[in-house]
Formats: sequence, structure tokens, C-alpha cells
Amino acid sequence: MSVTLAPARSEAAAGRTTFVALAAREMRRFVVNPVFLFAVVMTAWSVWVGRSAPVTGLGTGNWYPAILLGGFGMMATFWLTRSMRDSEPVVGVTPTTLPARTAALCAVAVVPFLCGVLTLFAFLHFHPAGARVYGAFSPPAQVAVLVGQIVIPSLGGPLLGVALGRWVRFPGAALVLFLVIFGWVNVATFPTLWHPDSAAFTALRLFSPFAFFTYMKNVADVTTWRGSPWFFLGWQLALCAIAVLAALLRGADGRVRFRVTRTLQIVLVLAAILLVLASAGGFPHAVTV
Amino acid sequence: MTASISLRGVGRTFGATRALADVDLDLEPGVIGLLGPNGAGKTTLLRLLATALPPSQGQVRVLGRDPEAPAERTDIRRRLGYLPQEVGFPRGFTAFAFVDYIALLKEWTQPAARHAEVRRVLDQVGLSNLVTKRIRAMSGGQRRRVALAQALLGSPPVLILDEPTSGVDPEQRVTLRTVLAEIARTSIVVLSTHQTDDVAALCERVIVLDQGRVRYDGQVTELVRQAAGRVWLADQPDPAATVSWRTGTGRYRNVAAHARDGVEHVEPSLEDAYLLLRRGSPENDPAKEVAS
Repeated sequence: MSVTLAPARSEAAAGRTTFVALAAREMRRFVVNPVFLFAVVMTAWSVWVGRSAPVTGLGTGNWYPAILLGGFGMMATFWLTRSMRDSEPVVGVTPTTLPARTAALCAVAVVPFLCGVLTLFAFLHFHPAGARVYGAFSPPAQVAVLVGQIVIPSLGGPLLGVALGRWVRFPGAALVLFLVIFGWVNVATFPTLWHPDSAAFTALRLFSPFAFFTYMKNVADVTTWRGSPWFFLGWQLALCAIAVLAALLRGADGRVRFRVTRTLQIVLVLAAILLVLASAGGFPHAVTV
Repeated sequence: MTASISLRGVGRTFGATRALADVDLDLEPGVIGLLGPNGAGKTTLLRLLATALPPSQGQVRVLGRDPEAPAERTDIRRRLGYLPQEVGFPRGFTAFAFVDYIALLKEWTQPAARHAEVRRVLDQVGLSNLVTKRIRAMSGGQRRRVALAQALLGSPPVLILDEPTSGVDPEQRVTLRTVLAEIARTSIVVLSTHQTDDVAALCERVIVLDQGRVRYDGQVTELVRQAAGRVWLADQPDPAATVSWRTGTGRYRNVAAHARDGVEHVEPSLEDAYLLLRRGSPENDPAKEVAS
């Protein structure tokens, strides 16, 4: 009998080819996930319904994509990551290592990220940058705020779902984390409402994967809070990287574990620096226009 | 290269529990049966061979490679098929989708070749007409065959099977025996089971584990021969017998540690020999039971 194992290739080439094929497979599984499909439909609906409504502050219309694509996307990737848990005795002895499988799952986040980009374009189409409701920021900074509120949460939520799925056994962990983040964003925002010039409360508000940068009582009274939306984007991207690295750490051994741990240490330091810069940057005090 | 596996002084503990102790084995192509009571260490041994578990002590070499070195472990896994004792299946997967997913993880990245291979192994286990059926809607025996199909992907040189025929109907068991016998021409097939008739039908060599130690390692025929003259039929259970039970004919099958004269001897089966080995024979020192 002839041995018909998969054709031999170089280690790196085999790894790359398998990664691409596996990532494509996981994406196909992700896009038919009912939770994610619901999130996409609801996001499209919320953008469409809000197209002619007056924007009552950046904290309303673009809050929904973050909740739906980010929050629900996190639950969908959490489910996807856990779906093979029962088959681990079989899956775990294949040549594709756990970190490689995790990387393929992380690649799935490209889908909600692209949905977030489309949502951003739609939002900007209906509510062009430069409008008074965006506050005192320059138009590029206004777009940066929107990217941080729509696009990056759409990427980060699903990545966090993968990390959570790799480390936490509790089946309801994604829902609990979603509620915790939702609650934390609200709790961390309230002090800024009362003390908009406080540096400490600005840092507290930005110590979160999602943050508001403006507050609008009415069209004639829009307050732009302290904090740099650009550095906040960097902080959010660092959080995304931390989620990926934390996920990859599970099951990593030898040289891979060493590299992931070292990179994680660097990214943690970078994240702290970016948070400080985000808190210290921007306007020196709240600006009402 | 001739496929081979070697274990030297291998032990494995889980906390204070010793699952395996001082196991020395050399395995070559063929079907090797692994027998033993529950908790004997069979599954632990198979998990060690399948690189799912590192040994606490000793050295394991699979196809000349060290499973504790990550790169070599990956190399072993490319040449390994493993059927664990229990396999869970993801929700919503069909038999084809599941085996196809595993094939992808086994680096079958070309869709056409992969799909052909998946169909081949599903056909081998007799599931070619159920490829689109959801696994969760299948019977226990059918699920077991799906799990076996993924182990057969690529006709690997090392095939580790933990109770492959559990829950499988007699007709399918015979089919699977044919498949395994064919694979064993060039591959090492290690088969753990409680079905002594599977071992008798398939294996030339049998290893009996008890309390984490190798109690017997040798030819099946040699183990059976040790029971010659110790199995007989009678109308009543014999008090001298180590084990006796009423058979379908209404007569009692008696198996004793000592040979008995003046009774109606019958040909011993592997099950008889295994029972004798398990119940312990005072005249057999365990060291002598290990056939050369």
C-alpha cells in the first residue's frame, strides 16, 4: 500500500499555505454565524435609519456599530473559537499547532473590520466631517474620532473574543465581558461630564477600548473634551495587538512562546505610553463651540 | 525507512497517581493489540504515542523523532493518525465537513486532493452515503466511524486507535478489520480495546497492561497457548475454576489457573488466556509471562 500523506513541503511554506486555507475556512464559518449576521443587519439598519436624523452627538449614532460589530462580533468569534473545544483530542494532534489555529481565527476579524470601514464611509456620507456637531476638532481629527469609535472596535471586539475563547472555559464569558465593557465605558465617561477639564478623569475615560470625545447638549452647544483622538487610536490598536498576543500565547511553546511573550511585553509598554499621550494630548481644556 | 516506535523507561504520573511505570517497548509495522482492565494505563500510553501527552520520565521515539521537541513533534504529527477514546464534534458539522476540516489541519491544502481523500476515508469506514448528514444526528456507531475516518486520512505510518470498534455493529467491525489489516502492511497500528475477539482476529502481537506496567508482551498465539489444558466445559460450575460462566448451550465454561485432567477440555480463546493472566497464576511469575 502506498503512503498518501499530504505532499511534503518546506516547513514555512506548509505553514503559510495551511494558514491561508484555514483562515479562509474560518472566515466562511464566521460570516454565516447568526450572531454576526444579526449584527451586520442591525448595523446597516441603524446607519440607514439615522441617515436623515440630526446627529445628536458622536456618542449616539456611531455607538451602535461598536456595540453590534464589536460586541456581537466578540461573541461570534468567542463561539467560533470554542466550537472545536470538544474535538481538541483530535485537532490537538494535527501538525497545525494551536497558535497557528489561533492566528487563523484572528484573521477572521478582517471581516468585521471591513464591515466597520464600510459603516464609517456610510456614516461620513450621511454626516460629512466638518459639521458643527463633530465639535472643535479639525476634519482629519474628526475622522480619527470616528475611526476609533466605529472601525477599531469592529476589529478589536472579535479579536478579544478569540483571546477569551482560548483562555476562558465559561460559555457565557463573552456576554459577561461585553456587559462589563459597556458598563465600564459609561462609568468612565460620567466623571468627565461633571469635570470636563480634569486630567485624571480624561485618563479614566480613555482607559477603555471605546471613548467619547464630544458632548452635545444641542446643536448650538457642543463640547469637545480633552484627549488626543490620534493617540487614542494607537492605544486601541495596542489593545488589539494585546488581544492577539494573549490568544497566541495559549498552547505556544519553545521559541514561539518566547517571541510572543517578548512582543507582548513590548506592546504592553507601548500601550501604556500611548494611553498617557492620548490623555495628555488634544485640547488643554474642554472647548465648547 | 521502516516505521518504528520505541519507549525506554517511560512513566507517567498525574499528581499522586501513577498511570504508567517503566514501560519499555519497541513497535514495528503490524497490528499491535493493547489489552488491560479499566485504569490499566492503556489510554495514557496511547496519548503518549500520539504526542498528546509528554512522559513524566523516560524516552519516547516515534519514527526516530523526539515528541518533546516542538519541530520533531510536528513532524511526527504529519505521519500520525489518532483516534481518541472520546471525540466531541462541533455543532452543525456534517461528516464530510468535519473530516475535511481535520484534513485541512493535516496540511491537505489542495481542495481537490483533500476532498478526494476525505471521500476515500469516509468510504473506507462505510459512511459514503452519509457524508452530508449532520454528525449530531448520527448514531453512536456512526459517529465513531466518522472519528475513525479522520484518523485514516493519508494512510499514516503510525495509527493509534483507542477502542475503534466501540459501538460499531458486527458487520462494520469486520469491514474495519479488513481496512486495518491492509494499513498494517506498512504502518504501525496500535489498537486498544476491550474486545478480545478484535485482537484475536487482527493482531499478531498483544500487550497486556495492568496498573501501569506491561504484564505481557508477545504473540497472541503464545498467550493463548498458555491457557491450553485450563479451559473445559462441564454441566456445573467447577469450584476449582478461577472463572466459570454458563454458556448459550446451557453448559458451564470453566477457566482455571491450573491444568485439570479428566474433564472435557476445549480450545482456549484469547479471552480465556487474558482472564487467566488477569486473575494471576501462582505458577507464573509476571517476569516469566513476558514472552521474548
